[in-house]
Amino acid sequence: MSKIGEAKILRVDLTKGETKEETLAPEMVKKYLGGRGLASKLLADEIDPGIDALSPENRLIFANGLLTGTNASTGGRYMVVTKGPLTGTIASSNSGGYFGAELRFAGYDMIVFQGKSEKPVYLQLMDGKAELKDASHVWGKKVDETTDILVEESGDERAKVSCIGPAGENQVLFASIMNDKNRAAGRTGVGAVMGSKNLKALVVRGDKSNFDYDKESLMKVVKKQTQILKDDGVTGEGLPTYGTKVLDNIINETGGYPTRNFQEATFEGTEEISGEALVEKGYLQKKKACYACPIACGRDTKLPSGRSGEGPEYETGWSFGAACGVNDLNAITEANYMCNELGLDTISAGATIAAAMELYEKGHIDREKLNNGPELKFGSSEAIVYYTKAMAYREGIGDDLALGSARLGEKYGMPGVSMAVKKQELPAYDPRALQGMALNYATSNRGGCHVRGYLVSPEVLGVPEKLDPQDLDSKPEWAKTYQDLTALIDSIGVCLFTSFALNADDYCELVNAVTDYDLSTDEFMEIGDRIYTLERQFNLEAGLTKADDTLPKRLLEEGIPDGPMKGKVAHLDKMLPKYYELRGWDENGVPTADTLNKLGLEVL
Amino acid sequence: MAIKVKLYSLFRKYIDDRQVELDYEENKTIRDLIKSLDDKYDSVFSQKLIGEDEAINPGAIILVNGQNIHHLDKLDTELKDGDILAIFPPSAGG
Repeated sequence: MSKIGEAKILRVDLTKGETKEETLAPEMVKKYLGGRGLASKLLADEIDPGIDALSPENRLIFANGLLTGTNASTGGRYMVVTKGPLTGTIASSNSGGYFGAELRFAGYDMIVFQGKSEKPVYLQLMDGKAELKDASHVWGKKVDETTDILVEESGDERAKVSCIGPAGENQVLFASIMNDKNRAAGRTGVGAVMGSKNLKALVVRGDKSNFDYDKESLMKVVKKQTQILKDDGVTGEGLPTYGTKVLDNIINETGGYPTRNFQEATFEGTEEISGEALVEKGYLQKKKACYACPIACGRDTKLPSGRSGEGPEYETGWSFGAACGVNDLNAITEANYMCNELGLDTISAGATIAAAMELYEKGHIDREKLNNGPELKFGSSEAIVYYTKAMAYREGIGDDLALGSARLGEKYGMPGVSMAVKKQELPAYDPRALQGMALNYATSNRGGCHVRGYLVSPEVLGVPEKLDPQDLDSKPEWAKTYQDLTALIDSIGVCLFTSFALNADDYCELVNAVTDYDLSTDEFMEIGDRIYTLERQFNLEAGLTKADDTLPKRLLEEGIPDGPMKGKVAHLDKMLPKYYELRGWDENGVPTADTLNKLGLEVL
Repeated sequence: MAIKVKLYSLFRKYIDDRQVELDYEENKTIRDLIKSLDDKYDSVFSQKLIGEDEAINPGAIILVNGQNIHHLDKLDTELKDGDILAIFPPSAGG
């Protein structure tokens, strides 16, 4: 029986091949809620942040949010939390689909893996029984094949699977964990940690009647919020109709669409690869929703060749498109399908190929190094498809690409080629065009990332209000608020996209509906602050410093060469001191004793 | 004066075209332009771009030469010969 507020954990010791149940203290749940918050606390308590992320000492935590599996709109999200191999920071990666809710129905809020199995295994959780089973027969197999085989083996076609593909097995530093075949805990290399533990998959089947919460109280709130989501122009019409790729033209027209590895900020081929093109070319088959989602932004697509799958989303369309100078939607979609099948983070995969293209064009990578592979030239459809496979299997130069752009740039003598923060590749918004995003990228606790405080919303989209993207004074406060709110959304188990229509009061109301916490919105927001500061402490303990809160030199010093934002650079130095101050961190970005005391945190 | 309006997202669904070119007398604002598009296309433009309080609809994006009119004179922004507009109904992604 799973009950909200009493976090039930299944601890799996892969070295010993043993499983056991534990329950967390309710006070701890109240302090961190669930998902990202609670799992980060557990990780910080259990490991030395200085360890090698790919060593058996690391933990790999699958964590449901407080509301995962309830009827809350979009309440099906789960997080994977671990120390990340790409960044060396705390890593946490969020995914939707149906796996998280099924895990809740199976009776667990969290699964904590530790140690390393001698042989490939998978965890099967069926009818309340946890079992580690041999995975030799699926080791090496792609995500879709693995999923089909393990569902069949479970004997229940309703079982849900979360697994790694060959990229995770081969410990590609940005390998993803995939659930329901096409949903990704994509970023920060959580799949590589899973591979390092010889853990191939989790197969879960539960019973909804095992999950107890006040349905009546929650439904009153959910009814109201679902209506808000349906009435809102963004969540009710924009996202359902064109998916996330409707952003391509918006970001390109506003001059912040990173092109050819951030060498330019508008892409001449955008029209050919945009969300509109996905519809006009007939690739879009139907929209797709995750558990309990009224938005349905997912895209089921089919190529002229007959091959079908899910995607591309905005980020993927960009990383293999504009970032690589490719205007071929067919090849971009194919590369996306391959990432899903092989288990690769699409942002880092595409952006690393983009960095390799710049290295090749500037003479840092020789033709011979590519063996018989296609030339790494911007605009090459052939290259994005070929090197996506090469990096997953670590073939030829793919072995170097598998380390991400930062290590690639260092190896080939041009560190500045990497458009990354804390070694994780930046996503599809040029921070020179959006100063708030510049601050967010630099201070994201998991490295370069757009979903640790999506200031694109006020800076470009005008939601909840329109901010001047070049204004600096207001951004530290907005960044902190968005970062804290996102930490909360990731901890209660709903989708970040609801925040286009819902606000902190709404999320707080959801939490209060299923608990006896009776939180004010301020108290609720303080939990977000606590989570963010805890993650920060982990990173400082792992050896990161203020010097890591920065952006690639190109974005700080070289003005955008083209488009409406021509000449702009990122003014991080003008925002960072105020940001630290607002957070209660000292001038070196270290949380002060007063701040830790106020948030109820200890020195690690 | 000649004004080009690039259409995106749902506008393409309604209009079935990627852009429209308009010829205007001088001293016209964005608000005037939206009204004239409405006359041609069943009020869909003001429905999506202008909120109940006659201000820019939250989430709607109107760009003049890449600049958001929120940071110009909003709906009263005056148009100039050769301006290129890009208009988006409320949209988002991630």
